[in-house]
Amino acid sequence: MARSLADQLLELPEGSAAWLRMRTEDYFDVVRAIFDVFAPKKTLDSIYVTCTLPAHSIQNALQVLEVPTDHIWFVDCISQIMMSTAERDEHTILVESPTMLENIMLKVDYLIRHSQRERTDLIVIDSINSLSIHNNMKILNEFLHILVNNLRSKNAYTLIFSMEEYENDEVRNIMNLVCDQMISAREA
Amino acid sequence: MPQGKSEPAADRDRCVTGVEGLDSILSGGIPRGNTVLVTGSVGTGKTSLSVEFLIHGARTGENSLYISVTESSEKLIQNLVRYEYFEPRLVKEGRLIFIDLPLIYHRLGLEKMEFDSQDVTILTKVIVDLVREMRTKRLVIDSVTSVCYRLKEPEKIRQFILDLGTALSGLGCTTLLVSEISPSADRYSLFGVEEAIADGIVIMSNYERRGDLLRTLQVVKMRGTTHSRAKYVLDLTPVGVLLVPLLKGGSVTAG
Repeated sequence: MARSLADQLLELPEGSAAWLRMRTEDYFDVVRAIFDVFAPKKTLDSIYVTCTLPAHSIQNALQVLEVPTDHIWFVDCISQIMMSTAERDEHTILVESPTMLENIMLKVDYLIRHSQRERTDLIVIDSINSLSIHNNMKILNEFLHILVNNLRSKNAYTLIFSMEEYENDEVRNIMNLVCDQMISAREA
Repeated sequence: MPQGKSEPAADRDRCVTGVEGLDSILSGGIPRGNTVLVTGSVGTGKTSLSVEFLIHGARTGENSLYISVTESSEKLIQNLVRYEYFEPRLVKEGRLIFIDLPLIYHRLGLEKMEFDSQDVTILTKVIVDLVREMRTKRLVIDSVTSVCYRLKEPEKIRQFILDLGTALSGLGCTTLLVSEISPSADRYSLFGVEEAIADGIVIMSNYERRGDLLRTLQVVKMRGTTHSRAKYVLDLTPVGVLLVPLLKGGSVTAG
């Protein structure tokens, strides 16, 4: 499945935003497809916005999958609200809470400016479901609209994760509105 | 200094601040020669914004001068090292100059706590002479509030800012006057006079939303240009001040 999903991702044009639907059990295949195949093949710098798990948990998972993390930076919106005493890591920037949506945009902007100019950027939002727990739909809609359009203007790829089990009509409406296309990991 | 007359945007040369978001808010930058009040409570980013404005000027070949009233220049320069856009050569080459105002007070014998009208005239003349001699195109006085404390009376404050602004504008110098106010203040400057005379007002504040504290920036007035009056959220990063719009769906009334 990872290979087939990676092939679909490789078809995406620069500056596109995709709604990446998956079941929880597909998560590791999706991560492998993105960071082990798609991003290296396209020579992308990746910014992983995590609103579900602390960045170090994702980093551990990537290590287990033997995925190189040299070109992956994290915007971690979870560690501080969990009051976890995470060690300082040059590849991780903390945002106090997933409710500070403007700060997420600012940290992504900072990492893009900080990254190597010759490389295109890939921004992964994990996940719309977690963001919808912490924010009302009106502000979430506004946030994604501004973020995706801003990233599009920079020719960056945006992938927004959505766990099928936790989707509702409001989430589906937002994703239909802001994303150019939907990719289903289950069907890959 | 222009007195209330708002020219069409295309008619005024711009002083590009180098803060991308702010230049966009101001339709290209601060109209050259304007005197702008940068006001806010402690920790809102006034000094960072002002210093970035100067560094950008120095990097683009404009002589830039920072007059420090409260913090020592030496300490300030040490803090600049962490910024990626700061180049120490700008200081060495004299393109970016830091001066401590207390040293000027000392040399002029102006160490008293309250200035009379003659002292105000002397202080204004010294600053204008510095700008003229150094061919300064960008000036920051941080903070003008500390200077105003010694002027006490609104008339003297008015005279100081008006005379200074008029002279500096004549020299083509764009000036930021950093002003300190308390977080609960219902006006833009401590004495209420500075805001009426300045060509522009940029407010920097802390905005609390459901327990989250966001740093914000808002341009409420800028003569000589059209500009956004919306509130923006800012971040102080090693690559400079970054701005994004404040999300309006997050207001209390919107739930």
